[in-house]
Amino acid sequence: MILRPSISISISRVAISLMLLLACLTADAQKLFRLEKDSIPLMRGFQVSFDLFGAGQMMLGDYGQYEAALRLNLHDQWFPIVEVGYGKANHEEDPVTGIDYKTQAPYFRAGVDFNMLKKKHQANRIFAGFRYAYTSYKVDIWRKDFPDPVWKWNTGFGVRDEQCSQHWLEFVFGIDARVFGPFHLGWSVRYKRRLAHDEGNLDKTWYVPGYGTWDSSALGGTFNVIIDI
Amino acid sequence: MMRRLLFFLAVAWVACSCTSIDCPVQTAVRTYYALQKSDQTTDTLKDTLYIASRVLKGKDTLLLDKAITLTTFSLPIGYANPEDTLCFRFRNGSYAATDTVWIKKENIPHFESVDCSATFFHRLTAVRCTHHAIDSITINSPTVDYDPQTIHFYLYLKSRH
Repeated sequence: MILRPSISISISRVAISLMLLLACLTADAQKLFRLEKDSIPLMRGFQVSFDLFGAGQMMLGDYGQYEAALRLNLHDQWFPIVEVGYGKANHEEDPVTGIDYKTQAPYFRAGVDFNMLKKKHQANRIFAGFRYAYTSYKVDIWRKDFPDPVWKWNTGFGVRDEQCSQHWLEFVFGIDARVFGPFHLGWSVRYKRRLAHDEGNLDKTWYVPGYGTWDSSALGGTFNVIIDI
Repeated sequence: MMRRLLFFLAVAWVACSCTSIDCPVQTAVRTYYALQKSDQTTDTLKDTLYIASRVLKGKDTLLLDKAITLTTFSLPIGYANPEDTLCFRFRNGSYAATDTVWIKKENIPHFESVDCSATFFHRLTAVRCTHHAIDSITINSPTVDYDPQTIHFYLYLKSRH
């Protein structure tokens, strides 16, 4: 089991860093984050969105996720958001290594976006934000029997229903633009950092629902269809 | 401004779609032996050592051939056998002695990625041997993985060697 130092320590570090950052904000920066004083009400409604990128991955490849989000619009400036999804991987008999990998589980993310445009009350937005995310999932990994290279006996390889979990943070930068009426299209690019993870008896897993594959790239992305409600 | 941002995001999105394969460069899982004297100083092999093991269909396979003047050596470890049986043969002129070493272990499937070959790590639980040329053998570090720096066994030979 690999449980990175501790989720509470990791979250504390992030919280302290954010508090120090806020404390260090200059007057200009504080002005940037202050709600604009105008006649526009604070509550500007909700948006629901669906990620087409993850769904495309699911249809075209052997892993991906279906994901929807509900975003609150506060004065066209702050957008608290909850994203929920269902990630799935079904990689059958890799052509090189012969390994099968299966997992499927729900996940959620919660965070906030900030509209970076100077003129905030317009249909298009550029935003930056962050998400905290969590998933609990089980994996099956196995391979057909293969001979030990020295002793030559057939060897089975695999684990079934290994219980795993992961906490992570995502830093988001994106845009959304109104297409017509209440419909928007938007892109986002995400930089992901794992906070803590538990892979049971495994040292590593491959696809983590909502996080994607675990490789050297810490980047991810979404392509969203967004509807104002 | 918006066009530049769209271009930047499109490039970043393509970058997000790329994947890389990060299999370890060192993928040999072997056990490492160090020869030691009873006073815990390094010993050197003076006889010629052959190490073999019985494999499938009763055949023997040579794991170490004509080793001499060594202070350390490494051997493969069975993927899934609960116990490996190794035959150590010492020769020096007319002198010959054979010892059998039994190594008990737990075998742990090790997964890196679907792109990396299936392999096993091991946890050594016990070792025993006969005592014709070998005085004793002890486990120094029970965890066997990709690390080539760890000495897993200390091998103590009888004083004539």
